[in-house]
Amino acid sequence: MGSRLGGIFWSLIFLAVPILGVATFAIAPSYNVWLPKDVSEHGASIDGLFMFILVLTGVVFIVTEGLLFWFLWKYDASKAKGPATYIHGSHTLEVVWTIIPAAVLLFLAIYQMNTWADVKMRRPPMSPTVEVVARQFEWRLRYPGRDGMLGTRDDLFLTNDLHLPVDEDILIQLKSMDVLHSFFLPNFRIKQDAVPGMKIPVWFKAKETGQFDIVCAELCGWGHYKMKGRITIESRPDFERWLEETYARQEATQPAPEDVAGSAAD
Amino acid sequence: MNRFSHIAFLLAAGCLFAVGCGKTPSASYRLNMVEATKQRLTPEQERQVSTVLLAMFGTPDEPAVLPEFGLDEAKLRLASGPVRSDIVGRKNGLYREHCAHCHGVTGDGMGPTAAFLNPYPRDYRPGVFKFKSTERADKPTHADLLRILRNGIAGTSMPSFALLSDPQIDALAEYVKYLSIRGETELALMRAYFELDDEAQGVLPETREFLVDETLVPIAEKWKAASDAQIAVPDMPADIDMVASIAKGRELFYGDKANCVKCHGVTGLGDGQANDYDDWNKAIVEINKEIMGGLAKAGETSTSGMSAEEAAEHRKQVAWLGRFSDVIDGDALRPRTIPPRNLRTGVYRGGRRPLDLYYRIHAGINGAPMPAAKGTVPPEDIWHIVNYIRSLPYEFDGELGADRPMVARDRF
Repeated sequence: MGSRLGGIFWSLIFLAVPILGVATFAIAPSYNVWLPKDVSEHGASIDGLFMFILVLTGVVFIVTEGLLFWFLWKYDASKAKGPATYIHGSHTLEVVWTIIPAAVLLFLAIYQMNTWADVKMRRPPMSPTVEVVARQFEWRLRYPGRDGMLGTRDDLFLTNDLHLPVDEDILIQLKSMDVLHSFFLPNFRIKQDAVPGMKIPVWFKAKETGQFDIVCAELCGWGHYKMKGRITIESRPDFERWLEETYARQEATQPAPEDVAGSAAD
Repeated sequence: MNRFSHIAFLLAAGCLFAVGCGKTPSASYRLNMVEATKQRLTPEQERQVSTVLLAMFGTPDEPAVLPEFGLDEAKLRLASGPVRSDIVGRKNGLYREHCAHCHGVTGDGMGPTAAFLNPYPRDYRPGVFKFKSTERADKPTHADLLRILRNGIAGTSMPSFALLSDPQIDALAEYVKYLSIRGETELALMRAYFELDDEAQGVLPETREFLVDETLVPIAEKWKAASDAQIAVPDMPADIDMVASIAKGRELFYGDKANCVKCHGVTGLGDGQANDYDDWNKAIVEINKEIMGGLAKAGETSTSGMSAEEAAEHRKQVAWLGRFSDVIDGDALRPRTIPPRNLRTGVYRGGRRPLDLYYRIHAGINGAPMPAAKGTVPPEDIWHIVNYIRSLPYEFDGELGADRPMVARDRF
């Protein structure tokens, strides 16, 4: 690279960073690589915070990158007419660009508190709707049954297939049986580590019915990739019916029709 | 200097090309070396077994399917081979995606992650399965295998595959049967050398009559017969008095006939006799004993008084023991005891339905020390035991108060 071209080349490269960066965000939603659909009640405030911080940092990013380009362009060595001047710097400028980010960070820290408290501190006063136990490499579920209490005879045990009612407070008691896992519900903006030896409450309220993913978001071992679950949000009556059917299957004293040898499955 | 760095660069690039861009070697089945050494097969005989198995069962990438298997070829194709998508975008190679890292490509329960698990993953080759709805010695039904795949095995490292689609689960169950039939055929072939007369000169007849009709068909028939061998379960009386039933079950639990207490312990915590092995581990324990005993005896034996023939025989025996010891080191996992189940945790490996517990008690657990109660305990009494077992995790709830239930709530 000739020295004449060098300055132009590098300044254009640095100019491309903010342009491509902004373009990526602009086209992301139309390529379906943006945030997954939010179906939780608290998700909007988390997404709002995300967007607010994204815009804030985005503006700073564009300004910084623009300055970087401008300095590279303006002070290109091949265009320099004389020797460089050395300056000590500006004390006032440094104070200003320290105080402004500090103030912004302080503002963010206070501004997000309410959302944080909603998601992590203001636990609804209720007993767990379901217990989720993470294990290499599955989600073991336990519903409290009719008496509403975990650890009693009418508990319902399942794996991977979580059903919950819509428009109701849900309290999940999260545990891990072996190593660190992370209970991640992308559509509910929930991500909580499951820690061996701890019972961690997780709560949310679903706004819509449908089926969504449960994934493990903490590398937990060889089979991490297959630690998938499914969450089905349904109306209260559907949920009750499902609970009852599943419980009846768990308490079966005779084989189900599909388990009888010689049937279609065989 | 400059030239050296060029040469070094070329060498590095060459290495990358050779290593990074090479074709992955295709997967192959491992010969059952423990059995081969146990049966004292010669290298020629081992080769014959490999060749015959290749002809009958194909390779992990291209399973051959004889009509005698009674298996569905399309299902096996879906489950076998490397992980890939086929022409209509369907996921293929399911066994290697989900199962092989524990159960091994051969189904020998010796995949790369197997040694870290307790209990060890199932070795399909002896064709023995624990959790099923058939009598102890019978094969599991297809539905039994599907059930285990969907629910996993609580208390072991077998996870649930509940979210795989029905055709996928179905294909995997079919492939497990295929690997099992293959393993059993391999064992049968290796054991057949012992039965050969002198005329055969240590070579198995490679006729259809011997290989298919005499060896394969009896094995495949057992699998086909499984669906007719399902245990008939009498209904639990609808008006059963639970309290009385649990009391009766408790009596049976501690009684002479069912004698559950011998292994599961007076507390039901599984703290009775706990030094036994399951069949897979027991086989290795016994071989180890034979090797250690043989080597100790050989160490004490002096060859000075032997004839030349006897001395040669002796050396051959010592060499065999040494080879066997090496094979066990490389081709078997270190044996582990199987503790009787702790009945107070509420974790049931073969399923928690009353029906599952009925099957376990009625037929015992094939391959494990758990005996069948069939014949010694009448069916209605088995229901009493089931009810008692199911009450065990919650037995002290009432005494400690509802706000402080025991065991099942606070422990994993």
